[in-house]
Amino acid sequence: MNIKVFRSFEGSSRYDVYELDPHPGMTVLEALFYIQDRLDPSLSFRYSCRGAVCGNCAMLINKFPQLACRTQVIELLKGIAYPELDPYHAITGGEMWDPENEILVEPLPNLPIIKDLVVDMREFFKMYESISPVLKSDDDATEHERLMDPSEVHELEKYTNCILCATCFGACPVSSKDPDFLGPAALAKLFRFISDPRDSGGSDRLEIADDRKGWWGCKFHTNCKKVCPKGVPPNLAIGKARRMLK
Amino acid sequence: MDKNRCAGFTAIDISDGTLHGFSTRTVLLATGGYGRLFARSTNALINQGDGAALAVKAGCPLKDLEFVQFHPTTLYGTNILITEGARGEGGYLFNSQGERFMKDYAPGAMELAPRDIAARAIQTEINAGRGFEDEYVHLDLTHLGADRIKKRLPGIRQISIDFAGIDPIIQAIPVQPGQHYSMGGIDCDINCRTPVPGLYTAGEASCVSVHGANRLGGNSLLETVVFGKIAGRSMVEDIEELDFANDDVIMDSIQNEWNRIKNVMDRKNGEPVYKLRDELKKVMFDHFGIFREEKSMQKGIKELQELRSRFENVSIENIEKPFNYSLIHYLELEFLITLCFPVALGALERKESRGSHDRPDYPDRDDNKFLMHTISRIENNETVLDYRPVTLGRFPVKERVY
Repeated sequence: MNIKVFRSFEGSSRYDVYELDPHPGMTVLEALFYIQDRLDPSLSFRYSCRGAVCGNCAMLINKFPQLACRTQVIELLKGIAYPELDPYHAITGGEMWDPENEILVEPLPNLPIIKDLVVDMREFFKMYESISPVLKSDDDATEHERLMDPSEVHELEKYTNCILCATCFGACPVSSKDPDFLGPAALAKLFRFISDPRDSGGSDRLEIADDRKGWWGCKFHTNCKKVCPKGVPPNLAIGKARRMLK
Repeated sequence: MDKNRCAGFTAIDISDGTLHGFSTRTVLLATGGYGRLFARSTNALINQGDGAALAVKAGCPLKDLEFVQFHPTTLYGTNILITEGARGEGGYLFNSQGERFMKDYAPGAMELAPRDIAARAIQTEINAGRGFEDEYVHLDLTHLGADRIKKRLPGIRQISIDFAGIDPIIQAIPVQPGQHYSMGGIDCDINCRTPVPGLYTAGEASCVSVHGANRLGGNSLLETVVFGKIAGRSMVEDIEELDFANDDVIMDSIQNEWNRIKNVMDRKNGEPVYKLRDELKKVMFDHFGIFREEKSMQKGIKELQELRSRFENVSIENIEKPFNYSLIHYLELEFLITLCFPVALGALERKESRGSHDRPDYPDRDDNKFLMHTISRIENNETVLDYRPVTLGRFPVKERVY
């Protein structure tokens, strides 16, 4: 089989095709390491945990934003039935591939490419930081736990499961056009604090995103939820926040 | 280093390959463990012992490096952790002959035996030819039923599906023991101060020695939450007494690093990094892993010495500046080559079995000789060991019986 990989260095880009013999269970991340070790040491991509925890290896694989470590090569060739995404520039047209014998690996869309599969995450994290993603509490005591009713944990967990991999950001048709839109990850994270009974940010939290850059920029394409490797539903959070504001 | 104190550090910016020097009053090493020194590990791929290797090269001793925890159940293939909870919920371990073999190792506790005992039991079964494909055993949850698995072990189910294509509701999970935690690390006191003024350490990189020879499940959080805070406090306390060093020290360091890296980048047609790295990890797992026997370790040390000389001729064949992972992997291999000797020699010289350190040729604990910390340093490019008595707290040491 072949892996067709997007390459870019100092302003010029191309696709390189590498041949390899996948073993059962081989992930796309392992395949990329195989290429880097044995075929082309100049290939660059991010990684860390290899277990779908750190979120570093998000990329566009067969035109679907996903984690390279959690995606198996043979499964891709067999043809995984991915949920259909609402179209946006990065997944319509562009480079094509032969799905039975080939895998297409490209950088995560909607972020500037630095080299090969490495994108510049600074904008993404700037948006994340802008919603002040830390617990605000009037209670400054540090000697005891801040308790909450266990029944409320479930609602919170939907959003705390986010690993900041930015697959949702790379899948968002609004983010692809509007660089000011906070994007699904930051908004879901903001809602996580709004729904946290221990947080005292209150209505300020809701209001910092009460405009077209925030809750009202979303067009409910729901690509975010479809690509999230952790099942986080940013679209749900945005809908709930809008109802709270009305 | 400036007159035996830590004066700052040099760093490489991975995104553009530039080198930078930092003149500081305090430096904290919190870089995680050295798990990736072993062929099978549950650790992230970046846990290459960076901090410990940098520290020992700078003259800071390491402590108890031979104490390495092996987890009994890691997923065959990726070695992702399959939590103890899977056995806690009632999972069974089966060998290829369909036996719940834990009856031969811990008849009372069975699958609930502690990590090190379960890890040895599984590896013994595999070594005796009673594993599957000579590589793994089965962790069977099927009898727990779909509801219980979905409710109590959803994470394990997802990992098995995503990384092994196996649904534990229907099939047993293939598991094998793998490295999990580094008890040893950079020598420091209870306030995270290393013997080198200005240098501090916290987390798995450090060895405060709260875990002794074997860590209990859940206690790694202690390293970050408690000792992270303590390290910060110590640095704040000391900062007034520590001055910035002369900038020349930092400039010289940058120049030295630059020369060293240039030298590596200029090499051609040497052996590739991955080949040595894979061999090194295999030697460590085979000879200094779950079982550590004199003869096998002697052989292992010879192989490590050969690898160290071959490392001098490794070349990376990639001279690009931004995101040059060939260079990063080279530097990581250098860390591993540095750390393999303190681990190996520490294990060889500790002629007893204690916690995670299992010597079939010395099966008993020997408190007379080895109720001691192993302290390792590098002198003239060789690892030298020294011993320091253990400070005992309110609990006396005693035999573990299952």
